[in-house]
Parts: sequence; structure tokens; C-alpha cells
Amino acid sequence: MIASVAFRKFKALRKTQVALLPFNLVIGPNGSGKTSLIESLLRLRTLAPLPQATARRDKSAPEGPQITFKFEPPHDALTALISCTSEEVCNLLEIHPPEAADWPALRTRLALIRGYVLDHSVMGAPAKREDGASLASDGHNLAAVLARMSTAAPDEFSALTAHLLRIMPEFHSLELVTHPDGRVEFGLRLAEDGLLTAAELSQGMLYLLAILTLAFDPAPPPLLCIEEVDRGIHPRTLREIRDALYRLSYPKSFGLQRAPVQIVATTHSPYLIDQFREHPEEIVISQKHGRAARFERLSDRADLPELLREGSLGDMWFSGILGGVPDEP
Amino acid sequence: MNVAVLSESPADEAALRFLVGAVLGRPPRLVAPGFRARGWPNVAQVLPAVIRHLHFNTDAQLLAVVVDADDSVVHGRSHDTPGYFHPHCRMCQLRAVFRQTNKKIARSPRPHASAGGVLRGVGVAVPAVEGWYLCGRDDSVTESAWVAGQESGYRPYSRAELKLRVYGTDRPSLPLQIECALREIERHRRDTRRLEYDFPGFAALADDVRAAGRNQSEGRLAP
Repeated sequence: MIASVAFRKFKALRKTQVALLPFNLVIGPNGSGKTSLIESLLRLRTLAPLPQATARRDKSAPEGPQITFKFEPPHDALTALISCTSEEVCNLLEIHPPEAADWPALRTRLALIRGYVLDHSVMGAPAKREDGASLASDGHNLAAVLARMSTAAPDEFSALTAHLLRIMPEFHSLELVTHPDGRVEFGLRLAEDGLLTAAELSQGMLYLLAILTLAFDPAPPPLLCIEEVDRGIHPRTLREIRDALYRLSYPKSFGLQRAPVQIVATTHSPYLIDQFREHPEEIVISQKHGRAARFERLSDRADLPELLREGSLGDMWFSGILGGVPDEP
Repeated sequence: MNVAVLSESPADEAALRFLVGAVLGRPPRLVAPGFRARGWPNVAQVLPAVIRHLHFNTDAQLLAVVVDADDSVVHGRSHDTPGYFHPHCRMCQLRAVFRQTNKKIARSPRPHASAGGVLRGVGVAVPAVEGWYLCGRDDSVTESAWVAGQESGYRPYSRAELKLRVYGTDRPSLPLQIECALREIERHRRDTRRLEYDFPGFAALADDVRAAGRNQSEGRLAP
């Protein structure tokens, strides 16, 4: 959906841009702008449904922070610009051309962008059944989303369950229980009997289930941002995480007919990075120099094929050869 | 026979288990869990530790290892000359690791003495294991075709093309990868000669597995 994002003086992103593919895994040291990239997309989501601002930038004022978005066809003639009217207020969205006929359609889609920083401490809690329209940004309504999926989209729910049980063969079924107060809770029944309630599940299990819930969402958003997508997951299971994300971004590869979901995910896991050896173009490295950072596509490195003969992508990244590592004194 | 497997993915592991059984003519008893490496050169890096672990802590009799050749030098007959070692050939490198590690631990008594030493089973898939999967289905895919391509500078296919031919997509899910791998190698269940002829990197593995099987049947290894 979004073709590129260009930054000027936005936090650590002083002057850089990144072209976005269907799937994008952003890596780099802390404070290098990974979250700022996601924040910019979520800011666009927030501002897009609002009426276009009538205020205009003060062109005589010093240049402030600015984020420029370009879009994939059929919206490639449009540009969205978020800039600041003052040092404190950075919420002016301008569309070029201002009267673009396709802006209403695009803004409707932009409003559907979702961002996730999943939190295991809330994902296991019972949730109101009516709150299950879409997974909340911290995943606190996971039980409600699963309950809604089980009735509104039973095929997807069955597929999700089958997928989960294949990865975690110690379990027999995913079960939903409705409390007298109307809240719903989920649990996993062990193959050897006994039910583990959501509160008893491990952190990693909750993260895995949340990612699979997104992957099997019957009505996924056009763009999904996920922070630390590998969090809590065993390195050997990261292939399943990659597959779940590819299911969203490349539905045809999974025999699905729906539109692709664009994904921007971040990680610090060399093991997850290893999963993209065949598609290094999907990795964006945030290079930090001092307090400023810029984005680079891994596939832009001319010597990448030679490097890959010598070691894994994750090792290459950790070693510093690819950049995207913290400065050291 | 007690067989341990070291591979790069669960799909490779499933195929390797099947192929070892096909060569032996009976299903092996597998040492669990399967050992996993993160691609080359990680396989060579973890291999000594895996051999040591198997030697001291398990009753494994054979360790089967398969890696993709990628763009490395393909093992040739000249490499089998006694004392020869090609530094850029993955078969030579893995065999050397086996040799050196077994030499170091040979003096230490093995708790499972009846198992003998941990025997070598090394195969190299040229250029990738998907080549093996296409054997018998796509005549243009052979180890000699790849080597000829290396020599002429014109590769007959890429690794990505092989994946596309096997899986129908360049981003297969793990279940699809396993399903396709097992479906394709089913052709070799009763007779692996075609696979051995077209892919000497597999024939080397088959020879190792047969040698281990002979050791066992001659009473040098526990059944």
C-alpha cells in the first residue's frame, strides 16, 4: 500500500527514506529509528480520517520535522506529507494534489493500519466478547478475538487451531470458556488431558497465539506493524513466525485469494534474520551514526552474495559487517 | 541402527530420515531430537560438538549430515584420492571434521561401547536439496548439469528456480515444504540408484550409510 516513507528531522531520522515492500523486517541498534518508522505509519493512520488541515506550513519558518509518504498504484499520484506547525505540534497532514479524487478511498484504507506491541501480561486475561472485532495493539482482547473468530469465521479458526497444534503437539485443542459475566477466556487442552488456562500459558505461547491470530484474521488490515515480532519465541519456531507473516504478505503463496497485507516488523534476533536468507531484499537495516540514523536495504549491498557464502545473515549482522549495530566507546 | 540427523531445517530432516531408511532398506531408529544448524558454515561449526555429544551421551551409531552445496566447489573423484583435501569443497570439509573429531575422542571410552564409534554419513546436495527432490521428474536437473554450468559460467538453473519447481512458490510454508519433500523422494523409496547416479553428493551419503549397515550386520555394531 505504501511505496516509501521519507523523513526529515524526525527524531533520529534526520534525512533518510525507505522504500517499502510487501514484507519489511527492520533491524538495527536501539534508538536507530525502527520504532519511529512504525510511529510515522501510525500517525498517518490517525491523521488520515480527519478533515484535511486548513493551516499551512509557515514557509518562512525554519524547516521542522517532516514525513513524506508515497503510495503504490492506483494511488501513486498521491503524496501525503506530515509536518509540524510549531515545535510542539507535529500533526499537519497535507495531501498533494489537495483535491485528488482517490484520496477518500485511500484514507479509508489508511485508517485500517494496525500497530502492535504485544504484551503477554494482558493477553491471557478474560475479555468482553463484544470487544473482539480486531486484536488490540497490546493483544489484551485476544480471547474475545478468538471467540469472535470461532463463530464468525469458523474455517479460519479451525485453520489457526490446526496450525497451532502442529507447532505445539503437546496440546490437543484450543478451547473457549464464557464466564457468567459474559467475559470469554481461552485455554489449551493438553494432549494428555488437563486444561491450561490462558493465565497459565507461557509468555511465548501467548505471543505465538497472538501472531497466529493476526495471520489467520479473516479481515486483515492493509498494513500491519509489529514490534519485536520474535519476542518470546524459541529460535527453532521462528520459521513458523516467518511463515505466518508471509501468509499475510504473500497470500497467493498460501493458496489464498485475498489482498496482500503489507508488513513492517522489527526484531533484534539474528535467528529470525537467518530466515530471510533467500529474500534479503526484505531486510531493512537502520544504520546509526551518533544520534542520526538512516535506512538501507540489505539487498543494496553489492557484496551480499559473497558474504552469504561465508556465514549466516544473522551472524553477519551481529558481527557488524552489515552495519546496524550499536556504536561503542 | 541408531541414526542421528543433522540438517538445516525440519523439512531437510524429514527427507534425510526417509532417505537413510531407503538406503538401509529398513527404517532406522532415530536419535531425538534432530540436530539443527543455521546453514553453512554453521553446520561445520557445530558438527564437532554434535559428534562428541553423540559419542558420550547417546547410543547413536551413525550421524547423517546433509548440506546444500550452494555455489561452493563440487566434490569430484579427484577429491577422494587419499590425503587430498579441497578447502572449498563442503564434502571434504565435513569429512575432515568427522575425521579430526573422531580421532580426538577415540581414546576416551564410550559409555555405550557396544555401539562402536559414531560413523560418518555425509551428503552434499548440489546446488540445493531441491535438486534431489526433482530427480526422476526433471531430467535437466542433475549434479553434472550444475558442474557443467559452473565450468561454462552459464548456470542451468538457480536455487530459487529449483524451489519454484518443487514448491510452486519461492515462499513455501514449512508444512508445504515437508509435504513436497516427502512426496518427491517417495520415488526413491525402493531404489535409490537413479538418485545416486544423478547426484554423486547423495551417492556419497548412501555409501556411508551402507558401510555403517555392513558394520552392523557383520557384528561390529550393536543391532
